[in-house]
Amino acid sequence: MTSPIDAPSSVRQDKYYLALPLGQRSPLRVIVDKRNLLVNLLLLGLLILLAGISLNTGSAASLSLPATLRALFGEGDPLDIFVIRDLRLPRVVAGIATGGAFALAGCLMQTVARNRLATPGIVGLDNGATAFAVASVVGTGISLAPPAMALTGAAVAAALTFGLTGRIGVRGYRFLVAGIGVGAVFGAITQLMLTRVSIDAANAAYPWTVGSLNARPDHAVLSLSLALLPALLAGIWLTRSLTVLRLSDAVAIGLGIAAGRCRMAALSVAVILPGLAVAVAGPVGMVALIGPEFARQLSARNTVPVLGATLAGAVVMVAADLLGRVLLAPIEIPVGIVTALIGSPLLLWILLNPNARTTP
Amino acid sequence: MTQEAFISTSADHDSAPDIATQGLSLAYGNVSVIEELELRLPGGQVTAIVGPNGCGKSTLLSGMSRLLKPRAGTVLLDGADIQRLPSRQLAKRLALLPQQPHAPEALTVAELVRFGRHPHQSWLRQWSPEDKRGVDEALELTGLTTLAERPVDALSGGQRQRAWIAMAIAQQTSTLLLDEPTSALDLGHQVEVYELIRSLTTTGKTIVMVIHDLIGACRYADHLIAMHQGRILAEGPPHETVTTDLVRRLYGVDCTLMTDPATGAPLLTNVRRTRDALDGSAT
Repeated sequence: MTSPIDAPSSVRQDKYYLALPLGQRSPLRVIVDKRNLLVNLLLLGLLILLAGISLNTGSAASLSLPATLRALFGEGDPLDIFVIRDLRLPRVVAGIATGGAFALAGCLMQTVARNRLATPGIVGLDNGATAFAVASVVGTGISLAPPAMALTGAAVAAALTFGLTGRIGVRGYRFLVAGIGVGAVFGAITQLMLTRVSIDAANAAYPWTVGSLNARPDHAVLSLSLALLPALLAGIWLTRSLTVLRLSDAVAIGLGIAAGRCRMAALSVAVILPGLAVAVAGPVGMVALIGPEFARQLSARNTVPVLGATLAGAVVMVAADLLGRVLLAPIEIPVGIVTALIGSPLLLWILLNPNARTTP
Repeated sequence: MTQEAFISTSADHDSAPDIATQGLSLAYGNVSVIEELELRLPGGQVTAIVGPNGCGKSTLLSGMSRLLKPRAGTVLLDGADIQRLPSRQLAKRLALLPQQPHAPEALTVAELVRFGRHPHQSWLRQWSPEDKRGVDEALELTGLTTLAERPVDALSGGQRQRAWIAMAIAQQTSTLLLDEPTSALDLGHQVEVYELIRSLTTTGKTIVMVIHDLIGACRYADHLIAMHQGRILAEGPPHETVTTDLVRRLYGVDCTLMTDPATGAPLLTNVRRTRDALDGSAT
């Protein structure tokens, strides 16, 4: 049950709903921004639509939409069921989970660093995760990188970046530059390792190192999916504090926010998620830039669109993967290349557009 | 201060909380700014902390508002160590307006003032009738009701500062700390902000402000604390505290001291650089 808020002077009725799940005297009183609610519903609709198209698109079998849906629910031709449920559905799920994870991590890190360029990919976490994952492939000879290795890599890269920056209190561009350096080092290490392995192993690893949903190991998708939901809830829980922390540390502390703890929590999520997502799809870091940006442009200003960014990231990932499969079919363009093609102009636009705010 | 005096001071201001420091040492990294400071600020009054640049007055305010963790000693708010209070509990009792805060683009006055309710809210209880009352009152007190939907960055300097003060008022604390609330403002806007701050004492608030403007401090504060190199040179009501000697030791300038015929506040005129570099305390 929702009701308009009776405070025209301070909370405008036309901008917010006051959700009172237990009636007028409800102890639960949650403000819902109308615009953000609409945006999130639209993004969710778009995501479902794209997932549907993605399930229905492919070279293995040409299915009608009703047949696709029937196969999704386990009815119809066994071959169709196999194609939809065992081949395409895991890929769509992996796309949603990785896109959501990268974008949620990006949104949190940008907000904490107060800089729209501060995404896990740009500060070197994706490359760190990739290097560790490749190291495990090179070292053990198995083609699937365990998520734990990628996670370790992301954590090591984060520790290095924060270590170089001095302390956890993130300092805008210094943090970025240190991160870019760390990322470059790990990128070089990855390339070096790939030149040392057999050409077959390098070939197998290549799509994954540019970012692809082709290689996705099932256990990695599972770990990521299990982490994403609590991470999203944590992000939503942190939104109230982050909205104030955006202003300044001094203002936030004055308002009773444990700034350090809040930042640590947000950054932990922003390190863990890309680590697990890289284990699935490789470094598709641009999604962390595109997703939150997309959500911010649509959402009400001065809100931290945690849920919106997650949904938008999933939308971008699924759409980019679909494009990569369709554009030059039957040749598949890795999703990382598609997102880079979309993301790079966006990055330039953020850097060069004088009207674009650099703070998220 | 003797034990008797100590007791009588606190008894005078039973309702309004006072702030005291005990053996307070504050430092940035290895650079010590304040050492072993003993201080007691009167409740229910406006206290102005003045002193030259780098004297430690903003550092002291940071220590009192828990932005800076003391190296040693304690800050007591009504006898309670602020380091031991949970953040939200402290924020319900003590509000802080940092130096020249920036509002994000397009943030409206009402949205900014709503942030002041943060310590009174939780995720499950994001808006209550008390919140509405607090915000409405703060807007009214600061004369911003009609500007509530305007973006903060579209306001004049004085209005913008009033909006930030409104946020601190909405916090409904008994103590308010302000770091240089008037330093970036022209004369008209300064007076606008000073008069607002003065008017808040009628609600029984204890107000502590760090300011550069000694004349404004004399005019609008009940209690003056003059700091120099991390120490307190003088404290008390402005007309008893400010002397030509103090002004010379604080700022290295000579002046003629008069009493403002209109307000009775000390007035500095004929301010000029001290010829002989006295005790070298002028920086």
